[in-house]
Amino acid sequence: MIEFNEFSFRYREGAEPVVRDITLAIPDGCFVGITGAAGSGKSTLTYAVNGIIPHCYPGDFYGSVTVEGCDTVDTSLTDLSRLVGSVCQDIDSQMVSTVVEDEILYGLENFAVPKDEIPGRVDEALAAMGIADLRDRTIDSLSGGQKQKVAVASVIALRPKVLVLDEPTAELDPASSVAVFDLLSRYARENGTTVIVVEQKIALLSDYADMLVIVDGGRIRFADTPDAVLAHSDELLALGVNVPRATTLVNALAAQGLYEGPAVRNVAGAAAVCKEVLA
Amino acid sequence: MIEFKNVSASYDGELAVLNDVSFTVNDGDFVAFVGTNGAGKSTTMRLANGLLKPTAGEVLVDGVPTTALKTSELARRIGFLFQNPDRQICCNTVREELLFGFAALGEEGPAAEARVDAIIERFGFEAQAEPYLLNRGTRQLLALASIIVLAPPTIILDEPTTGLDFRECVKVMEVVRDLNEAGTTVIMVCHDMEVVGDFARRVIAMTAGRVVADGATFDVLRDRRVLKEAHILPPQVTEVSLMLGRGEECPAPVAAANTVPQMVQALAAARGVEATTVEVEAIG
Repeated sequence: MIEFNEFSFRYREGAEPVVRDITLAIPDGCFVGITGAAGSGKSTLTYAVNGIIPHCYPGDFYGSVTVEGCDTVDTSLTDLSRLVGSVCQDIDSQMVSTVVEDEILYGLENFAVPKDEIPGRVDEALAAMGIADLRDRTIDSLSGGQKQKVAVASVIALRPKVLVLDEPTAELDPASSVAVFDLLSRYARENGTTVIVVEQKIALLSDYADMLVIVDGGRIRFADTPDAVLAHSDELLALGVNVPRATTLVNALAAQGLYEGPAVRNVAGAAAVCKEVLA
Repeated sequence: MIEFKNVSASYDGELAVLNDVSFTVNDGDFVAFVGTNGAGKSTTMRLANGLLKPTAGEVLVDGVPTTALKTSELARRIGFLFQNPDRQICCNTVREELLFGFAALGEEGPAAEARVDAIIERFGFEAQAEPYLLNRGTRQLLALASIIVLAPPTIILDEPTTGLDFRECVKVMEVVRDLNEAGTTVIMVCHDMEVVGDFARRVIAMTAGRVVADGATFDVLRDRRVLKEAHILPPQVTEVSLMLGRGEECPAPVAAANTVPQMVQALAAARGVEATTVEVEAIG
């Protein structure tokens, strides 16, 4: 369980808090999508989970954030990194090795994982991300999508309870983006891992997330199932948050009196509603 | 006009990243290149503006091979927006950044300053602001403005909306649409199929260094063979209509709809009612 309790944070160099009065409980195994306009405070929320705040970015920290019962202020960054695995937005800044296998080994060796466990962990992480064939490839020969999968594999090899990813598909094509979300979602389900993804691609988030969190001006405006959040599509657009075109279509049908029912989150939902209208 | 005639290209002289690619972009076109990472789209853009020379075939800009054109001459004809604006921005203030292109072309002077001032006003920039302290979307707009202030007849945009939020994305693409309506040729690499569907009039799909389709936007985005071969996901309403169109009793207008208004009108007609006007904010 991750719990934000009346959490506010002001960066040392900032005049105002960038997030305010955040209270949110994320159950174990939940796939959470966080989105909002640029500068709304999305990344700051993830920094509070992986301990970058306050351990790396000092400032005024109010309230509390706990991960698996550990207060992120009182717990060392090293101990937190065993609980929370993070994948940065800029993948190249995360890579420390020249070969894929070495990249996976790096974290395992630094966490002093027993030597006889390491080969199995490497195999498992490569298989989970579907990149066993890349094991011996040099990092600089990989495409953006392949690097993304290597970064995730190097983190899940450490078996963290929580995975935090900041715009993991920003530079990926649609098919690769779906593939990364498929892999993350399956891995989370099979291992009970909590996944927190910051993302602008609302259609992907809506399709995969159990909980959608909309941040605006440093405050949480919505935190609910995607269907419940997308029912407020006009408010979302006013906040500068996009909604999937499938949702827009069904909302337009409802506005025309052609459909009475809940909002939909994806193409399959919209197609089902259209069939209902045609029936 | 930009012509690719049987163009092949390689970065290391051995591995071909582009194979026998041919197409023509006419003046005033709005073309989107789509396909997976590594399909050869960005390589094609680098060939078009002369950053890369072909290993076989010819790239012609207004009838002249890029191999015979100086970089400065190509820069006058084609503006290039990189995916990451931070690779493009190099000055200490917004105004200096916008004047930089004129200085590089040796065209400083009152006329250049007047054009810069006009674009500062048009975009609502703060002239003395430090570019690196602007947010991502504003830096992207500044990079775009620094190209269009030189008024090139063609602009190439490599993933112009990546990393932008919804409002920033709409702002950038509306500027691009206005430019195209005023006659600028737009060539764009884009992964966001909603943006492609909303703005491009023509799509060239690539895979493994070759062109697999070239046609009107929705002709390409509705072609199941192309979608499969180039690993493209169509815009969501198009995908819905393709799914519904598999049913034998699906009315033709529903099976052909590509936009929210088209689909709503088609479904309303199928139900025998008249739909009122449906307005959708661009990019959804």
